[in-house]
Formats: sequence, C-alpha cells, structure tokens
Amino acid sequence: MIKSLKDGLRIGLITGFIFIFLVLIGFPSVASNIIGDVLGNMESLDENLRMSAENLIIFIGIIGFIAGLSVFKKDEDISWLGSVLGGLAAGLSSGLLSGLVIYLIGTLDLSGVDFRTYLPNLGSEQIRYLLFYSTPLAASQTYLLYFTTLSLIGALVRKAVSELSIYKNKVGTAASQFSGKLGSSKFRGFLDNKFVLAALVVLVGVGLYFLPYAWGSYWNYIMGTVAIYILLGLGLNIIVGYSGQLVLGYVAFFATGAYTFALLTAPQPHAIGLNLWLAVLISIVVSVLTGLLLGLPILRLRGDYLAIVTLGFGEIVRILIRSDLLTPLTNGPKGITDVGQPIWRGQVFSDINYMHLLMLLVLAGLFVAKRLKDSRTGRAWIAIREDQTVAQATGVDTYKYKILALLLGAAFAGLSGALFASRNQFTGPEDFTLMVSVNVLCIVIVGGMGSLPGVILGAFVLKGVPELLRELADYRLLVFGALLVVMMIVRPEGLWPARRRKFKEQDIGSANLQQKTPEVEV
Amino acid sequence: MNQPAIRTEGVTKIFGGLTAVDNVDLFVPERSISSIIGPNGAGKTTLFNCVSGFYVPEEGEIHFFGERIQGLPTHKICSMGIARTYQNIRLFKEMTAIENVLVGHHPRMNATWFESILRNKRYLQEEQSAVDRAMELLDYVGLSELADTPAYNLPYGAQRRLEIARALASDPSLLLLDEPTAGMNPQETAEMTNLIRDLRDTKKYINLINRA
Repeated sequence: MIKSLKDGLRIGLITGFIFIFLVLIGFPSVASNIIGDVLGNMESLDENLRMSAENLIIFIGIIGFIAGLSVFKKDEDISWLGSVLGGLAAGLSSGLLSGLVIYLIGTLDLSGVDFRTYLPNLGSEQIRYLLFYSTPLAASQTYLLYFTTLSLIGALVRKAVSELSIYKNKVGTAASQFSGKLGSSKFRGFLDNKFVLAALVVLVGVGLYFLPYAWGSYWNYIMGTVAIYILLGLGLNIIVGYSGQLVLGYVAFFATGAYTFALLTAPQPHAIGLNLWLAVLISIVVSVLTGLLLGLPILRLRGDYLAIVTLGFGEIVRILIRSDLLTPLTNGPKGITDVGQPIWRGQVFSDINYMHLLMLLVLAGLFVAKRLKDSRTGRAWIAIREDQTVAQATGVDTYKYKILALLLGAAFAGLSGALFASRNQFTGPEDFTLMVSVNVLCIVIVGGMGSLPGVILGAFVLKGVPELLRELADYRLLVFGALLVVMMIVRPEGLWPARRRKFKEQDIGSANLQQKTPEVEV
Repeated sequence: MNQPAIRTEGVTKIFGGLTAVDNVDLFVPERSISSIIGPNGAGKTTLFNCVSGFYVPEEGEIHFFGERIQGLPTHKICSMGIARTYQNIRLFKEMTAIENVLVGHHPRMNATWFESILRNKRYLQEEQSAVDRAMELLDYVGLSELADTPAYNLPYGAQRRLEIARALASDPSLLLLDEPTAGMNPQETAEMTNLIRDLRDTKKYINLINRA
C-alpha cells in the first residue's frame, strides 16, 4: 500500500512539473489545436475561437491518463486497491500541483501582472484560455478533477491489462496456447498469401499516390524535406549504423551532389544545360568520388579521430564553395539560382510530382538498404561495427568494406543533394552547414542504429515534429531538445531498434504449421 | 613425412624494452593437438598473436605449410586457413549465433554488394549453402537451438563453443585455441576436451592450444 502511494506520488509530482513547464511555454493551446485538427471539431480559423475548452480538457485528460498508466511497471504485481491508491495519489498530486500553479497564474494575471515580460508565450489571452474563461478557483478545481479521474482510470486500465495477461498465462494450457499459436500463424499464413500481399501493396501504393494531392503545397514541402532526410538517413545509416564508422562530415557529400547538379543544369554561371537525369547520375558519381577521395586516406583511423577528421572535411567543403578562389566556378556565397527542374508531360515538376519522385526513391533506397543489410556485405559491416580487429581476423577485409560503406552512403547523399537543389531551384553554401550532418546523425541515432524503420521514424520526428511545434515560436528548439532528452532516457537504443534477422524460426514456424493443420480438422 | 603445419624459426617479439617472445622455434605437425604452456606473462598469447598476424615479429620467420606468413594482414592469414579463438571471448555481441558463424564463413564466400542487391541465382545459392553450413556447425558444437539468440545472451560455455564454430566456419586447416577452457567448471572442461579431440579425429583439424 505504502509503496503504491509512494510510486503514485512520485509519478504525480513528475507529471505535475512537466505540465507546469508546458503551461509556462504555452504548449497546451498548441496541443489542443493539434487535437482539434485531429478531431476536426474546429469550425473557424479565428485564433480565439480555435481554442475550444473541450480540446484543452482532452489534453489534460491524456496527460493524466498517461500518468496513471505509468505509476506501475509492466510486470509489477499490484492489488486492485494498490492500483486505485497509486492512481489517486498520482492524479491528486499532479492535479494539486498544476491546479495551484494555474490558480496563481490566473490570480496574478487578474491583478494586472504581465507575464509576457518573462514568458513571451504566456499572454493574457492564453491565460484566460487556460482558465477556461472562468475564475482561477473554478479552473484549478477542474484541473484537479480531470487529473485525478483520468489518472485513476489509467491505473485501473493498467491493472486490468496485466490481469488479462496473467489470466491468459494461467489458463495457458496446451489447448489455449495452441489456439493462440494457430491464430498468429494463421495471420502469418494470411500475409504469406501472395494475392493478399499484392493487394496490400497495391492499397498502400494507391494511398501513397493520392496522399500528395490531399496534403496541399505546405505539407508537400515539409514531407518532401522529410523524404530527403530519410534518403540522407538511409545513407548515413550504412556508414554509421551498419559499419559503425562515425562520420561527422556527411553534409560534404550532400553539398557535392547538390552543387554538381546545380552547376550542370543552371543557366548561371556555366550554362551547361545537361539533361537532368544524366545530371543526377553524374551528381551521384561525383559524390562517390568525393567519398573515395576522403575515404582512402582517413578510413584507417578509428573512432574519435575519424569523427574529428570528417568533421573538418564537411566544413572544408562548405568553406571552399564560398571561397573567393572558387567563386568563378561556384558563384561563391551568392549560390546558384534557377537550378534545373525535371519536366513531366510538358510541364515543370509540381510539388506533387516531386513528392511522388521522392516517395519512389525512398522506397528504392529502403529496398537497397534492406537487401544490403541481410547479405554477406551487411554482415561484414556489422561485424566491423562490433569488433573491427576480430572482424579482420575472421577474414573480413575491413578497409575495403569501410570504404564501400562510405561510398554507398555518399551515393545516397549525392542523390538527395541533387533532388534538394532541384526542388528548391536554388543552392547556396549556407544550405550545407554542420547542422545538416548533426541532424542526419540524430535521425540515425534517435531512430535506432542500423534500423531502417528507425530512420523513417527518426526523420519524421526530427524534421516533422519541429514543424508541428512551429506555433511555439521561441520555445520550439527548447521543447524539441527536451523531447530528445526524454526520448534518449526512455528509449536509449532508439525509437525502433534494429532487429536481427531470424533464420530458424521461419523454418520451425512453417514446419509447425504443416504438422498441426491436420489436428485442427480432428 | 610431409610439411609441418606451422614452423617458426627464431621468432622474437619486443615491446619497447620488454622481449615478450625470445627466439622461439616451433614445429606443429599435421593432425595433432599441440599445446603451448607456461606461467602468466610467459608470452604464450604474444606468440599466438604473431602466428595469427596481429603482431609482426621483429625477428625470425613463420611458415604455414611452407609459406611465409609474417607481415600479412590478418584477413589474408585467415583466408589462408588459420582461424583462432580468443582468451577473453570476442564475439560479435549484437549479432545472433548463426550470424556470427556466417561472418566466420565470409572468406569462403564471393558475393559482392551488388549481387546482394540483385539477389541473383548465384547469390541465393551461395547464401543458402552458407546458412546450411552454419547450421551444421552450430549443431556440431551443440548450439543449433540457440541459432537466433544474440551472442550477448548466450551462457559462458556456449559463447566459447560459438567462438569455435565461428573459427571453423572459415574452413581452416589450423585452429588456434587461446585458453579454451579458461573459467570453465570440470564438466564444461571435459566437454571441451572431447570437442577438441573430435576436431582432430573426425574433422582433421590441427589444434594449437594455449594453456596456462
């Protein structure tokens, strides 16, 4: 009992402080706007009307519910009374804490204190919204009520779920286990069916095809950026995630690709006017050559040394591009405008065309990366990542494989660089700062080293979420940083950690299926 | 009657002022179990490292079936047919047991990265035979049930046996076992001894064992 109370109190206090932090930076209204967008219950675009109170309550409810859920760990054995107590303790403490702060802020605001001096997002309008346009006392009571109720529900749900799984385990005699297994293998068999699989692929394909039409140009632009970063992430994932070489100057290959493409297709400064698809190919080749140039001398280095040298390389490329020396060649700091754009059915590529092209290339990139991972080459890379000395003594030519990883990664960067320049119709040295390398590295690490779904998820989180948070203005990067920190604490191995390929289970699974099918009919 | 598997002449390895291996003449016949013994710090592992290519001796020569091997990079020596295990187990921890063995098979495979993207017939055949061979080896060392277990999750004795399976996967003619029974209980030691004898008798490997 005491332990449940303690656990509840601990979680409640943490939740309370997080909520207060969110209130201070004006996050609740952003969140309720997002909820409103999801539920579609916003009638007007008028900012004041947008802030409907029910969405705020939903937001509070979600936070309370999560608090209730997290009072107890997954496999913890807690009585019903214990979970009620824990949930109540968490809800009451977080509700009291946030209610108190809301009350204080509300009262101070009424007495004429202007919070905006210290907290730019906490204006009077915002505060009145947080108070549900009622008195501070009434509002804080509402907070207390919803936090407590939802946290209690959360804790009870957790208890019910664990009860269910225990029940399953207890009744898990041969029969029920058998039916469970059959269920899953049936599902697997269902997916194995070629027609079903084909239908699913077609369905997803059609969905992806029509998505850009539904998005509108703003979201096409954001999602295009995400797609370009997925491509970059896939490339760097080969270098860092598979072969374990910490390359910090990845942006150099991105820049090489973008500039090669731009110089070959833009009217200024060279007016070469090469065929675009040929230019894309050449951009990839030039990036790969840059990789070779960098890789041959430095891939004998390991760990920290490699990181520092490549870090320098990335900066050198950017500085060279904008240097006086190369200005006649690269247009220097001004950058290159009117970069070539592909033509489709007599018209210049629209944002929808670009989106389709990017989707196709991401799928192709995933395909290539996946096949590489599960091959002799991929195993050699991962062995190098795990223990380079032993990998070499096991017969892997580590130098060759490290260079191969770098070149393939550079090819991905060259391709995305060309697309980037073409889509923006512009490329300049300031597009290729160190932050690009850091962002891509974050995508790989946050997603999960060596994991392909991780790269996609990471790109959405790192390039998409900041867009969702745009309304937070000044606090955007603060919240984003906090999110990253929380993420790395909660899931240090990444959002979607890499899974090892299974060799045995497939065989055993299908063997079981064959053996057991007759039994079902009996 | 025929050439010795390993012949060293006056091998000397010096670390700064310390002569770790001093003028060693070694002769390991085929199909034998030979052992290097000595107290701690005698330079047994250093000699091992010289033979497997981690160190290049300052003086002397190392011949493997008549071929000079000192100075060659370790992956070349491995593909010539010398495989080894390590005193402090060094598996590829994040990889599963079978993947560890497959990496061991690396020098006997030819698939390029491009073929692995295309997955042409030759690639698929090679991959399948490699997986079969790896399962066979795991079965041989008694780990077939744990094939899909990540190496870091394996018990200690199993990790040692997996190291041997990984070494065998490169089809070596000489197996260097560095303290194979270190930290094992009597039962595990007996099992390991049987395994080593069996390696000599049925698989015709030459074993060189380092034992304190």
